[in-house]
Amino acid sequence: MPKLHLSYEKKKGLYGYGFIALWFVGALIFFIIPVVKSFIYSFYDVKPDIGQLVMSKVGLANFKYAFMTDANFRKNLAEVLGQTAWQTPIIIIFSLFVAIIINQKFRGRTFARAVFFLPVIIATGPVYAIITGDLSTSGTADADQFSTMFSADMVDELLEFVGIYGFNDKLTELLSTMTSDILNLVWKCGIQIIIFLSALQGIPSSAKEAAAIEGATAWEFFWKITLAYVSPMILVNLVYTIIDTFTDPTNKVMEQMLQVQHDWKYGLSAAMAWSYFAIVLVVVGIIFAIMNKVIYYDN
Amino acid sequence: MADTAVKEKKNPVLDLLKKFKREKEPKEEKRSRKEERERFKKRLATLTPAEQKYLRRKQFIDNVWPVCRGLLVFGLCFVIIYPLLFMITAAFRERQDMNDPTVIWLTKHFTKNNIKDVIALTDFWKTLGNTLFINIGCSVVQVLTCALTGYGFGRFEFKGKKLLFGVVILMILMPAQIILIPQYMFFRYFNPLGIYHMIKGEYINLIDNALVMYMPAITANGIRAGLFIFLFRQAFRGLPKELEDAAYLDGCSPLKTFVSVMVPNASSTFLTVFLLSVVWYWNDYYVSTSFFTENSTIALQLKNLRTTLQMKLFGNTTQQVNAREVIVWLEAGCLISVTPILVMYVFLQRYFTEGIARAGLTGM
Repeated sequence: MPKLHLSYEKKKGLYGYGFIALWFVGALIFFIIPVVKSFIYSFYDVKPDIGQLVMSKVGLANFKYAFMTDANFRKNLAEVLGQTAWQTPIIIIFSLFVAIIINQKFRGRTFARAVFFLPVIIATGPVYAIITGDLSTSGTADADQFSTMFSADMVDELLEFVGIYGFNDKLTELLSTMTSDILNLVWKCGIQIIIFLSALQGIPSSAKEAAAIEGATAWEFFWKITLAYVSPMILVNLVYTIIDTFTDPTNKVMEQMLQVQHDWKYGLSAAMAWSYFAIVLVVVGIIFAIMNKVIYYDN
Repeated sequence: MADTAVKEKKNPVLDLLKKFKREKEPKEEKRSRKEERERFKKRLATLTPAEQKYLRRKQFIDNVWPVCRGLLVFGLCFVIIYPLLFMITAAFRERQDMNDPTVIWLTKHFTKNNIKDVIALTDFWKTLGNTLFINIGCSVVQVLTCALTGYGFGRFEFKGKKLLFGVVILMILMPAQIILIPQYMFFRYFNPLGIYHMIKGEYINLIDNALVMYMPAITANGIRAGLFIFLFRQAFRGLPKELEDAAYLDGCSPLKTFVSVMVPNASSTFLTVFLLSVVWYWNDYYVSTSFFTENSTIALQLKNLRTTLQMKLFGNTTQQVNAREVIVWLEAGCLISVTPILVMYVFLQRYFTEGIARAGLTGM
């Protein structure tokens, strides 16, 4: 018997296809085909010609060149990885801290919120790169010192002012890197703060009441209530931060890949991009595996 | 003035409210701090030592914490605003001020020339028009198409949904670099329907055309579209099913349900995504630098401002300009390129900060 009458659910399913059809066409042209193509490019020596690319197969030579011969790629990669490794935890802790603070009621809260989200507006653009003083290769130490807020000298001066001379060098170094990067860090936290803020507002009032009746201090409340309820968002923020740092156009690897592309070395650029992406996936996978054991889901 | 006073007197509700206020205020004033402390002590004496300890600690923290919080918030706000303040002061300096150690904030030689220079060099007004055209247009289109897609993913069950949503996740994860080259080839040798080349024997060159930004946006594949689709999906998924069923019973088609029932309920998400989209299109130079050979957007102009300055401003003079002095022009450039988007932020930040918090981020 031919089925002429479709059930409501089936009809709905068809409409679902209808809703995503436009995106699907676009994704095919602007995402899926390019992804496949660039995967193929990475195994070829690619030269642009009119209307097409002249390709000659080179096997893994592009990857080999990127990792073995290219002087900067490995170094840049290590730098970006290292940077992500130490910045991500600080960004997470800091944004959780800020979110808790601006979730409280105090005078000027609206203003404080507006200021904390300001970096979201500016931090992805070239303005930010100029502000931190490393936009172009001609950026010199002078420019750096004038554009960033805390120079290493400031810490030294502060310590000397307090009366500490020749204090443990390692600690001074640590402090100075922390302070010179504070602008950097604060400016990278906008979205994370927003995500945490929404999680904090989602803590049910029954949990708050119970804690208050039991006489929990703010400290206990943080460790036993806040952290538990926020933990799914910690995972989200971790992943977001990692991806944001990795795909940040101002990071060294992304800059290098763009440069290689401008030099018409398409195959090499694709090989670099793919190996970079593989690393990102591995890192995100590890984070997921670890965090999934720690997260508390409230049902 | 007199008129309003009369009106106020006539309004019984307002009178009542005023009375209420007047009665309440003195009551609170009456209980002075001293008295309060006395009462607190009296109450303390009736409690057990453990309870006393807890209350004392709580009172201490309640008194100290606001001060710490105020300092912290102030300090952090300062760190964020600092570069903007520096931008404003540096943009209006003459360049010799940069070498003057006595000038930290306020300039000794106020000048508008830097701004004028940069506006002339970057052809600012034309670039601004161009940027706004790309920016606002793409953002509006992208919000609509991403909403449609997000709705499809959020509220319908169909075969292959998980796989397709996996593609959306990949769109979020993948660095733009991977797809830039094939996209470039696609636009450089644009071949509509795959037959244009066969008929005409040539390709259409879309590089430097606004279509390179519009085409992905129209098909929900623009800048960070994956994230927007994800946000919309979350927002639509959170809406109650009853809404949909009611609309269906009233004879709405799914599209009509979407337009007249779902969209109004997700308005804060729409606003948030629109703002983020505007911001990210405005700031983008990574994608557009591949598709535009000229500096046709503000972000590109700013990215290459140093080169432009070198070529056009300092090129015909013999005098040397050191890196420190260039800063006044760079900061002027930053200032004029940030201003439009800052103005937007000042007006919309309320919706922005509240909107994202409610944009369906919870419950991922």
